[in-house]
Amino acid sequence: MSSVTFDGAVARALQLETQVRRRRTLKLAAWGVLALAALWYSAVQIKLSPLALASGVPYMWNFITRLFPPDLSYLALLGGATIETVQIAIWGTLLAVIFSIPLAFLGARNTTPHIVVFHLTRLLLNALRAINELVFALIFVSAVGLGPFAGVLAVALHATGMLAKFCAEEIEGVDKGQVEAQMATGASRMQVILFGVTPQIVPQFIGYAIYRLDVSIRSATVLGLVGAGGLGFSLIQNMKLFKYHQTATCILVIFLLVLISDWICGRLRRKVI
Amino acid sequence: MLMPNATKPTVLSVQGLTKSYGNAVHALRGIDIEVKEGEFLVILGPSGAGKSTLMRCLNRLVEPTAGKIFHEGEEITGKRRSLRLLRRQFGMVFQQFNLVKRLSVLTNVLTGRLAYRSTWRSLFYNFSKDDKRIAIECLTRVNMDHKTFQRADTLSGGEQQRVAIARALAQQPTIILADEPVASLDPKIARQVLTYLKQVSHELGITVLCNLHQVEYTREFAERIIGMSRGKVVFEGTAADLSEEILHRIYYKDPDAKDDDQ
Repeated sequence: MSSVTFDGAVARALQLETQVRRRRTLKLAAWGVLALAALWYSAVQIKLSPLALASGVPYMWNFITRLFPPDLSYLALLGGATIETVQIAIWGTLLAVIFSIPLAFLGARNTTPHIVVFHLTRLLLNALRAINELVFALIFVSAVGLGPFAGVLAVALHATGMLAKFCAEEIEGVDKGQVEAQMATGASRMQVILFGVTPQIVPQFIGYAIYRLDVSIRSATVLGLVGAGGLGFSLIQNMKLFKYHQTATCILVIFLLVLISDWICGRLRRKVI
Repeated sequence: MLMPNATKPTVLSVQGLTKSYGNAVHALRGIDIEVKEGEFLVILGPSGAGKSTLMRCLNRLVEPTAGKIFHEGEEITGKRRSLRLLRRQFGMVFQQFNLVKRLSVLTNVLTGRLAYRSTWRSLFYNFSKDDKRIAIECLTRVNMDHKTFQRADTLSGGEQQRVAIARALAQQPTIILADEPVASLDPKIARQVLTYLKQVSHELGITVLCNLHQVEYTREFAERIIGMSRGKVVFEGTAADLSEEILHRIYYKDPDAKDDDQ
């Protein structure tokens, strides 16, 4: 008797499963069609044209052949700019680390002193992340003049937005038990943060900071395009003067720098985490 | 022989304690209990009976909805100011141990001293020589002094719980609140941890409130038992009084229902 009801239950469940699956497929298809339509529309809007690309190939080839061979004698003259790029990245990231620590605690739901402070901090962090380093660099070039200092400030502000947001999310994800244990001892708010929260996020934060240094080096290579120092400045100067072989050297050095920084930062991160 | 409880002074008195979340969830529904100085009191009950909530009301990790709590004759409910002073008198031991995993055993025990020190002084993670002496002494009491400088997450569960007991002792508390301290340990280690807890609190004259859901540990370790079911006290007595009928009342019967739901 019981096997009869059992069979019935299985049959009903199977039928239901088919229905659910059919509904899911239909839904997926509808979204797919919608997405394709949107993509097609934007392709037309932004004049996506393989034809234009094909007809541009000779010009590109012309440009590329002019770049070769890179002027290796120019390499020695780029040493200063390369070091400056790294210096901009290091100082920019360091300042960002310093700014982002308090901002992260203010911008995490579980450590913020007030929900209004939380929302204002998150708003500020989103603004910092929304504005590209090049835009910040333009602003600071007009404020502190041409040169690497404007680049440092640009990197620092944009990196603060990212580091503080990532760190705030780590803070929100800490093990609540360890925090509760600190509260139970009678520790003050600040002591709870120091002993219950901070030890849980330190390795992740160092990991983010190293990753950010890598990103900062990459952005520091282009900040010179708007006059904020580093390799980008040499690149744009040579380009404007149609010194193709020197331009090629700049691109080569940027490529090597990014490659090396990626390698070093990757190793450092693996050591910490 | 046990001294009769009546001769010992009351250290903690709970009157009509209620905790509700919204209108629907009533975790505690009028709890009245008296805790005598130095006793090992087990609060027995199934999961969801309100044992943890009761404990967290005592050290004000949770604010009760209504009712009063007196600690050594002084009302401790409602006062916001002396929260740090209050909490440091209640050492707490947790089911998941809740050691700060990345800190050393010593630093974990030292956090029991935080309420005695200003925020400013602990800003750089340094503690006074006195605090360190107290912490190491507490570790020695639970036989964990040989692991002083190891990171907390390298210890086994039983070892972590012993360090957690040391942390509670470092507060030099009058009461230890142990919330299901052995629920994540195997039976052998569980008995070891409960033995340490009982022995150490006897040596130092600390009152222990211990939440348990296992009847056999309760029979072995409790000096007095309070049975809880669905936010109410349904039994008070000793291990000898724990009859089948009473266990049924604690674990299966709805205290609100007029008759037993058979």
